[in-house]
Amino acid sequence: MTATAAAGGKVLVPKADDPRNPLTRLGQLFDADTVELITAEDDSGMLAAIGRIEGATSVAFCSDATIQGGAMGEAGCRVILVAYERALAEGCPVIGLWHSGGARLREGVVSLHAVGEVFAIMTRASGRVPQISVVLGPAAGGAAYGPALTDIVILGPEGRVFVTGPDVVRSVTGEDVDALRLGGPEPHGRRSGVVHVVAPTQEDAYGEARRLAALLGDQRTVGEVEDRDLSALLPESPKRAYDVHPIIDSLLDEGTSLELHPKWAPNVTTTLGRLGGRTVGVIANNPLRLGGCLDSASAEKAARFVRMCDAFGVPLVVVVDVPGYLPGVGQEWDGVVRRGAKLLHAFAEATVPRVTLVTRKAYGGAYIAMNSRSLGATRVFAWPGAEVAVMGAVAAVRILHRRRLAEVPADVRGEVEKELAIEHETLAGGLARAQEIGVIDEIVEPVRTRSVIAAAIAAAPATRGQHGNIPL
Amino acid sequence: MALWLDALVAEIRAEMVANVWKVVATEGDEVADGDTLVILESMKMEIPVLAESAGTIAAMHVSEGDVVQEGDVIAVIE
Repeated sequence: MTATAAAGGKVLVPKADDPRNPLTRLGQLFDADTVELITAEDDSGMLAAIGRIEGATSVAFCSDATIQGGAMGEAGCRVILVAYERALAEGCPVIGLWHSGGARLREGVVSLHAVGEVFAIMTRASGRVPQISVVLGPAAGGAAYGPALTDIVILGPEGRVFVTGPDVVRSVTGEDVDALRLGGPEPHGRRSGVVHVVAPTQEDAYGEARRLAALLGDQRTVGEVEDRDLSALLPESPKRAYDVHPIIDSLLDEGTSLELHPKWAPNVTTTLGRLGGRTVGVIANNPLRLGGCLDSASAEKAARFVRMCDAFGVPLVVVVDVPGYLPGVGQEWDGVVRRGAKLLHAFAEATVPRVTLVTRKAYGGAYIAMNSRSLGATRVFAWPGAEVAVMGAVAAVRILHRRRLAEVPADVRGEVEKELAIEHETLAGGLARAQEIGVIDEIVEPVRTRSVIAAAIAAAPATRGQHGNIPL
Repeated sequence: MALWLDALVAEIRAEMVANVWKVVATEGDEVADGDTLVILESMKMEIPVLAESAGTIAAMHVSEGDVVQEGDVIAVIE
C-alpha cells in the first residue's frame, strides 16, 4: 500500500494525508482491511481495487484528483477497463469514485479515444453487473458522462456534474452561474434527474454506495415476514391526497428503504429495500404530488427503474393509487405519449416477479401502465374498497348519461348521478367484476399485505431480463 | 445578498392547475415543516400543499375559490 511507483521519470510524492488520495477514498468505501489494489499506484490519475462491502465482493476505481485535477488520460482509462473486466469476471458490483475535470487536454484525441472506450465497456457491462457512481468533486465532460451511463449516481456535497463548466457557459451563452447552481445537488437532484441520491456529507455518500452495493450485489432470498396494518396510513376520505412514503417504509423491512430520485418527478416514487430480507424494488404513485398522476417525467423515471431491477433480477412491488395521466398542453408537448410509452414497454418486457397492489384506485391509461395484468403482472392484489375503472363512476356517468342528466332538474341532479354511478359500477366496474375477468387475483386485507406480497415473490421463479439498462 | 435571501425565504408554488378548495394557514402564522398551508382541488382529489420549511407565513397569495396555474406562488414562508 505504501508502494509509490516511479512514472514518467519522476518519483511521486507520498500524499497519504491528502483527503483526495484515492487510496484513502477507496478505504472509506470498502470494509476495513479488505482493500486489495488491482492496478499500480502511479500517475495515471486513476486507481482500482477489489474488496468487500458488508461482506460481499465489489470492485471500485477512483479518480486521483491530486494529479491534474483527476483528468482522464489513456493510462487512467485503462485502469477503469481493468476494473470493469474484473467486475464482469466476478459478477459483482463496480463502483466509480469520481473527481475529474474530464479528458486530459495534453493527450489530445488519444485521451478522447480512451474515454470513449470507457463508455463502451460501461455499456457492455450494463445490465450484467450493477454500476454505481459516487461523484465526490467536479465531474466534467467525459467524467460527467461516465457516471451518467451507470445505473445509480450518488452526489456528494462537493460533487458537481456538467458537460461544460461555468466559464465556458459564461463565454458562450452569457449566463452567469456558479458550479453549484450549474451542476450541484439542486439542479441534478430536483430538475435534471441526472443524480439518483444526494448525500449531505462525504460519509453519507460512501454509506449510500455501500447500501446500494449490498442491496444489488447481495440480494438474498425471502425469509420470515411479520405483518402490520398498512391501511391505517391512508386518510379517511378517499378523495384526500396523502404522502405514500410511510406506506412504502412499512411495507419494506424496517430501516431498509433507499429512495432513488426522491425530488425529481416525485409523483412516482422508486425505492430499493428488503422484504423478508430479500431485495425488492418498489414503485408507488405519490398522491401528495400532482395528485399521484403519472406524467412524462415520472413515467420515464419509473421505466428506467423497472428496467434496472429487471436486469439485475430484483423483484418489483408496484403500489397503485393513480387518478390517471396528467392532462395539459405542457404534458403533450413534453412528450407524455412517447415518454409514457417507455413505462408500458418496461413493464411488458420485464421478466422478474412483479406484484401489483391497488390500494385505492387505478384509473384509465395509468391503470394499464402501473403493472396491470395485461402487461404481465405476476400477481395483482387490491385492498377492499379499491376502485379499478376507466375513470371514477360519477365522471363516467356524466359522460355516458349527459343528455339524461341535462333533463333532470338541477336540485336533484346530484342524487340521480349517485344512483347512476352505483348502477354503472355494478355493470362496468367494481372489484368483483375485475376479479371475474381475472385482472385482479385477490382482495387482500391490508394487515396481510406484507406476507401476501412476500409469498407471491417467493413462489415466482427467480429470473432476470437479458438487456442493458440504457439511461432513459 | 441573493443567496442570503434564498436561504431565508421560501416560495411555495402550485405544481399543477387546481382550484383552491381551502385555505388553512393565514398570514403571520408560524408553521412547521410539513404543515398544511392550503388544500387544492384537482383531478377530483383534495391535495394538501405543505410547508417545506419552518417559519412564518409572510404572504398568502390565494383565497378559496381561486384557480391557480402551474408555477403560481401560493404562499411565502420566511
